Amino acid sequence: MMDAGRHPRIELMTLSEVEEVNGYIGNFKVKVRKKARYVDEKECTACGDCADVCPVTYPDEYQVGLGTRKAVYIPFAQAVPSSYVINPENCLGSNPIACGKCAERCEKKCIDFDIQDEIVELEVGAIIVATGMDTYDPTEMDEYGYTRFQNVVTSLEFERLICAGGPTEGHFVRPGDMNRPKRIGFVQCVGSRMENRGNPYCSNICCMNTIKDSLLLKEHYPDTEIFVFYIDLRAFGKGFEDLLKRSREAGVNYIRGLPGSVMEDPETENLIVDVENTTAGRLEQYNLDMLVLSVGLEPRGDGDPLRQALNLSKTSDGFLLEAHPKLRPVDASTPGVFLAGCVESPKDVKDSVTQASAAVARASHILTSDKLTVEAITATIDKEKCTACGACAKVCPYGAIRWEKKTPAEVIEAMCAGCGTCAAECKFDAINIKHFSDEALMAQTESAVAENASERIVAFACNWCSYAGGDGAGTSRLQYPPNARIIRTMCSGRVDERFVLRAFELGAPIVLVSGCHFADCHYIDANRATQRRVDKLWDKLEKLGIRPERLQLEWISAAEGQKFATVMREIEKMRQRVTAEEIEHTIKVLKEDRGKQESKRKAKAKV
Amino acid sequence: MSEDGLRIGVFVCDCGLNIANTVDTEAVRQYAEGLPDVVASVGNRYTCADPGQEEIKRYIRENDLNRVVVASCSPRLHEPTFRHCVEEAGLNKYLFEMANIREHCSWVHSEDHAGATQKAKDTVRMAVDRARHLKPQIEAEVPVTDAALVIGGGVAGIQAALDLADTGHHVYLVEKEPSIGGIMAQLDKTFPTMDCSI
Amino acid sequence: MAEQDNFKCLRCGNEYSLPKPEKATMEERTCPKCRSNSVRKVG
Ligand code: SF4
Ligand SMILES: [Zn+2]
Repeated sequence: MMDAGRHPRIELMTLSEVEEVNGYIGNFKVKVRKKARYVDEKECTACGDCADVCPVTYPDEYQVGLGTRKAVYIPFAQAVPSSYVINPENCLGSNPIACGKCAERCEKKCIDFDIQDEIVELEVGAIIVATGMDTYDPTEMDEYGYTRFQNVVTSLEFERLICAGGPTEGHFVRPGDMNRPKRIGFVQCVGSRMENRGNPYCSNICCMNTIKDSLLLKEHYPDTEIFVFYIDLRAFGKGFEDLLKRSREAGVNYIRGLPGSVMEDPETENLIVDVENTTAGRLEQYNLDMLVLSVGLEPRGDGDPLRQALNLSKTSDGFLLEAHPKLRPVDASTPGVFLAGCVESPKDVKDSVTQASAAVARASHILTSDKLTVEAITATIDKEKCTACGACAKVCPYGAIRWEKKTPAEVIEAMCAGCGTCAAECKFDAINIKHFSDEALMAQTESAVAENASERIVAFACNWCSYAGGDGAGTSRLQYPPNARIIRTMCSGRVDERFVLRAFELGAPIVLVSGCHFADCHYIDANRATQRRVDKLWDKLEKLGIRPERLQLEWISAAEGQKFATVMREIEKMRQRVTAEEIEHTIKVLKEDRGKQESKRKAKAKV
Repeated sequence: MSEDGLRIGVFVCDCGLNIANTVDTEAVRQYAEGLPDVVASVGNRYTCADPGQEEIKRYIRENDLNRVVVASCSPRLHEPTFRHCVEEAGLNKYLFEMANIREHCSWVHSEDHAGATQKAKDTVRMAVDRARHLKPQIEAEVPVTDAALVIGGGVAGIQAALDLADTGHHVYLVEKEPSIGGIMAQLDKTFPTMDCSI
Repeated sequence: MAEQDNFKCLRCGNEYSLPKPEKATMEERTCPKCRSNSVRKVG
């Protein structure tokens, strides 16, 4: 920790949050809000005089509310930077009439109430996300009495109580009467491996954490009796089984079965715990001085804004999705962004450190190259065909199209990300996308229904999410009917209405357009254009007497293999209900319509 | 309009049994052989392995291929591999196309061999039809900013920042709280070594 | 009464309404009955 604060190449920005991320691999531009600390962290000597005179007291977050701190405080003794901070919500105010005592008291004059939040712009080539996790709040699991009984604590609270730097300065006591507990129970899997409340997954660290706690207790207070209530004990890591063995040898009692009820003896404030011991096959009752809830880990509640700023996906459990579970486990779905620690999944210190070093190796690989090549998938404009209508400039999420009235539009290549929304929007065929050209995609569309068209579903899928969701369905071996023919585009915004109409005209019973969920769009908000285009197509189909139901739309994330397979099954059922007469009618009206549209376009283009 | 003189090579992968168990890969290979402009259609056991890649390169040289289609796994997995491979044989990497007959076919239709084989044929045909319209592209080069951002100053973030800095990169370590340390700073001792956490 | 937007699900046929959002932002549409996104704004 100290090393990170001292390293000449590390610029530490505390009280800071990332607000905006622009750019791409090798060249990110990041806006960071540095919140006002109101204390000059370089000058502060952490003498603590300010806190002595501060008149207000608040629960201390570091001691998980078990201790108190002032409005001006140092988060904990070894904090880096070693500086006090003022919490503006707690502070009475700088106005000398209101308070201002700390500023007056500070000899070095490092307290300044006029400091403002600052927005700093950083330029970086790679980003490592290591934002960690939250611990499960057991309030909703009321049967364990966490909110009702003082001597029921979480494992994190226990950690503070037994720590020399804790609120009780290492005198291990229970919160109820400040006496040392002699009979302690630990309940495992609190908030983990549960279907209806908490989280369905195993939090990975809690078994070992309890084993560690039991050994600490036995070491410092050998007369303590310890009872661990568990479903399974998971001690699979290097040296872990050994710790478990030591713990058993030290006399810790492991009881297979979770408590059914916890009651408090009002006299003693002791806890009466009923449990079915499934090894012995009998109901047992324990009278304990203290009960520790071994709480699981969960994704940070405040993680979504950052996730969206970086365009990352999450798995169904809420942790961040890696680019590939085996081949690229520390790469995030956005190139140039890497994952480390519990933000990716619950893990212990060793695994977090291992993953961090792996992420660094991956990031360093980018940072040490002088130049990167960017994919040549960008838009080009045919000046001859462009009528200077400006429709493309309006839909480009990146503002990469320069357009003034009467002059043909122009693409600023460095800003173009290649989503293809402009090309799909252009009514005059004047925009094309390199590598995802109209010709190539049209050829693929026609090819999809070249044989047995009436049995086919033409499915457009975007590279980042829905196509990846389809890959996920494959990796999980989810089975679905083989009727769909999938066409990959970089973004669903690339899907031109002409591709869809052409598929119908050639006899496709069902067409599916699929892309990322709105929040996950890899091209800012290009998939809103998809929605608008599909809305228009539904209207058009209806006007032509074609059932709009035959055009389906789905948002499927890279993690939703399940949804991909379900959608495939459902739209296959829909396909079977499309009649031959219907298809024949569609072919006829769309042929006529295309003739009309083409002559209209030609007439317009001439003007 | 697609150009004249197209010489397309198709490589159909078994992926051991991952594809070949469900899809009749030999039937797919034969089908591809009959498609217009396809001058070579080759089956491989593992196309992505070195011998498979060598074979692609050899065919490009010996048969003057100017488009390559590999029918195997997802382009999200091995497109970079094969692009690199055709580039080594002197073909622009944008003249390469992939047909996904594993994730989108054999693995999801394992009970329906006929349906899966039909889908694989169609998918190859679609890739060939698309390949006709591919053009060589030149990629722009951009400079790299040699600095990294680490978001989060817990144990993982601190380790990442130190490793990056020791490797010689400039690091911004951004932490929401007033001090770095994260949850680990709140722990008394940590397993398996049972030592102090700070 | 607040103004309503009417929707029809093109997967299961379910019709439903939601209060008009205050801002004119476009929201992702999901059928409350079958979870499909093939939801058309009608009327
Ligand atoms: S190319 Fe893909 S499908 Fe073929 S062997 Fe390699 S992984 Fe398997
Ligand atoms: Zn529905």
